[in-house]
Amino acid sequence: MSTLLHSASTSSPSFSQITTPRFAPITRISLRNGVRCKAIEAVNLENGRPSASEFLVSGSGNAIPRYVVAPNTRIQDLVNRNDTRLRIFSGTANPALAQEIACYLGLELGKTKIKRFADGEIYVQLQESVRGCDVFLVQPTCPPANENLMELLIMIDACRRASAKNITAVIPYFGYARADRKTQGRESIAAKLVANLITEAGANRVLACDLHSGQSMGYFDIPVDHVYGQSVILDYLASKTICSDDLVVVSPDVGGVARARAFAKKLSDAPLAIVDKRRHGHNVAEVMNLIGDVRGKVAVMVDDMIDTAGTIAKGAALLHQEGAREVYACTTHAVFSPPAIERLSSGLFQEVIITNTIPVAEQNYFPQLTVLSVANLLGETVWRVHDDCSGGIEPYSSLGID
Amino acid sequence: MASSLLQPSSSSSLFAGTLRTLDFVDHSRARISAPYTVKCDMSESSNFVNGKPIIPVLNERTLPKFMESAREAKAVSRNSNRLKLFSGTANPTLSQEIARYMGLELGKISIKRFADGEIYVQLQESVRGCNVYLIQPTCPPANENLMELKIMIDACRRASAKNITAVIPYFGYARADRKTQGRESIAAKLVANLITKAGADRVLACDLHSGQSMGYFDIPVDHVHCQPVILDYLASKTISSSDLVVVSPDVGGVARARAFAKKLSDAPLAIVDKRRHGHNVAEVMNLIGDVKGKVAVMVDDMIDTAGTIAKGAALLHEEGAREVYACCTHAVFSPPAIERLSGGLFHEVIITNTIPVAEKNYFPQLTILTVANLLGETIWRVHDDSSVSSIFQ
Repeated sequence: MSTLLHSASTSSPSFSQITTPRFAPITRISLRNGVRCKAIEAVNLENGRPSASEFLVSGSGNAIPRYVVAPNTRIQDLVNRNDTRLRIFSGTANPALAQEIACYLGLELGKTKIKRFADGEIYVQLQESVRGCDVFLVQPTCPPANENLMELLIMIDACRRASAKNITAVIPYFGYARADRKTQGRESIAAKLVANLITEAGANRVLACDLHSGQSMGYFDIPVDHVYGQSVILDYLASKTICSDDLVVVSPDVGGVARARAFAKKLSDAPLAIVDKRRHGHNVAEVMNLIGDVRGKVAVMVDDMIDTAGTIAKGAALLHQEGAREVYACTTHAVFSPPAIERLSSGLFQEVIITNTIPVAEQNYFPQLTVLSVANLLGETVWRVHDDCSGGIEPYSSLGID
Repeated sequence: MASSLLQPSSSSSLFAGTLRTLDFVDHSRARISAPYTVKCDMSESSNFVNGKPIIPVLNERTLPKFMESAREAKAVSRNSNRLKLFSGTANPTLSQEIARYMGLELGKISIKRFADGEIYVQLQESVRGCNVYLIQPTCPPANENLMELKIMIDACRRASAKNITAVIPYFGYARADRKTQGRESIAAKLVANLITKAGADRVLACDLHSGQSMGYFDIPVDHVHCQPVILDYLASKTISSSDLVVVSPDVGGVARARAFAKKLSDAPLAIVDKRRHGHNVAEVMNLIGDVKGKVAVMVDDMIDTAGTIAKGAALLHEEGAREVYACCTHAVFSPPAIERLSGGLFHEVIITNTIPVAEKNYFPQLTILTVANLLGETIWRVHDDSSVSSIFQ
């Protein structure tokens, strides 16, 4: 830049001297060049900000009209454009998490108006322009599942009709995720239906947290970034002083063995145990079996969600019978349908560790409860999705979003 | 089935007769009394002969002989021609067995490959308005068999088939059902999209690797579980139920093994947990559960190179299992599966014929069960629009 400036400055005087005889055109050229030199020089002098008064003075009120001061506005416009390309909006399901994500990204949440009419219909209006923007809509479809899902669909549709360039649904908790297969004939696969609805509403991409089964990504025909809350929980457990020799990772049912095993590998290759719950006949009480050994150990039960807490509470009781010293429960999604709170706070668990993908009402807090935040994890993912970068930074390589 | 076939035919004739009568009424007022008389006669005749009209009466008064026989023949022909089975080249033996179970002939089809490897398919009989079932597992060579299936589907669609069902005893790419790392495809979903796009209206598949894979299709999928075939066979052997332990060779298949164990007199469950403790370090096998002195039945959906199941079996023997059985639906048997399976680790290896096994790959412990009856029954029920899931209850 400075070289260019120097070159321009040098050429100007020389040119002027050589062509002295032709005064009138020379003066014109010289003036124009002079103005340009001054402008560039001014920019240089004042740290890149052009000086309005300089323009006026050098022009003597003749050569430079006042409106040329506009370049200043133009530069500001560029800055604005950069900022407004990334927009984050929140639905009503988990505004606290959305706010945390926005804080992590150093942004304000976009303004929306979301209300319900008397008949229950949902109304959404974006209160700022999203034209040409990369829009991220943060909305877990936690209970009330159908309300929150419909709200998300309407938000997506609103963004599409407002000419958003890209719409990403950020779904920290994917409702209907457990309805991911037909276990008997004549059933729906509701997770697939929801995937179709979100795609049809106009989403270009989905960012989801701990889907119940990894295969559910395949229900979408649009890109899905699957983020695991496990890393947040593992970091927390690592910060506690549990001797790794004492640990056993337990899956509360046979369906979650793969998840528990992945967890165990990351937890200093801890051994694995499985609770096998069976009903030996119709209307007969369930019988619990433990496969593996937990005697004298600290058992860490791992699941993706706790709903009514029936499975995990019965599993914990069995672990105590089998001689476990302490029982921890780790889960990403705290659905906490009744009577989960009573079961979890009854003394079976040393600690119940959850994340904030689903907000927990304060009245549902209990002493053993620990709520971790996935905001930084989701914020980082949103940033990388927006930036189209994957980055090999080790702390986040486990995100699987490359 | 035979009786139900005959009955519609009779009803059809009766209906035609009635129509003819109505035509008379419409044409002329002067003929009102005569048709009325005819109608009375028909009703009376029907009553007398248990609802079957006397053909001579119909013949004499309202139907010329040629029309009656032509219509009846056409009705019969239409019924049987509505259902057509065709086989691809991947497993013609299974297709033939299915057709035999159903009492049908396989449809004639010409399938050949050009010098450059392109596949050519021509149906050699009409499928217009028919319910077509195309039987083709997409087993190795997976891409060849898959492309052949798609071209068969497309041929049927362009030949105005009414319904096209892809019967896929073994669904290749089924294991590619999720992204385990970034920047991967979900090939099972891609294959589902391709089959749907080719023109299939429905899919009938055996033992998909994960139950969720049904959700990759936007068309109806009937998922046939072949466990009953294996369970029936095991039940016919004299293994005391108190001696049995069902073993899952990996953590991913625990749910499948557990379902199997429940049906096998609620047998206990064990799991082989195989881990690699670091990069370039040998795997370490752990057994969760107990098999000492027991008969271990390893259950999986498929055996490919047999590495997992062979190592698992070795571990079970170390842990004191008396005998080890291997049960699986799909015998992919990529090298060196045969050597591993016949190496003495297994008392018996029980598979089904969803994928054909070359005779040179037979070994003494191998038992091949057939899924033809199961698939044939399912196809009948799909065609008849009767319940499929009740087969498995």
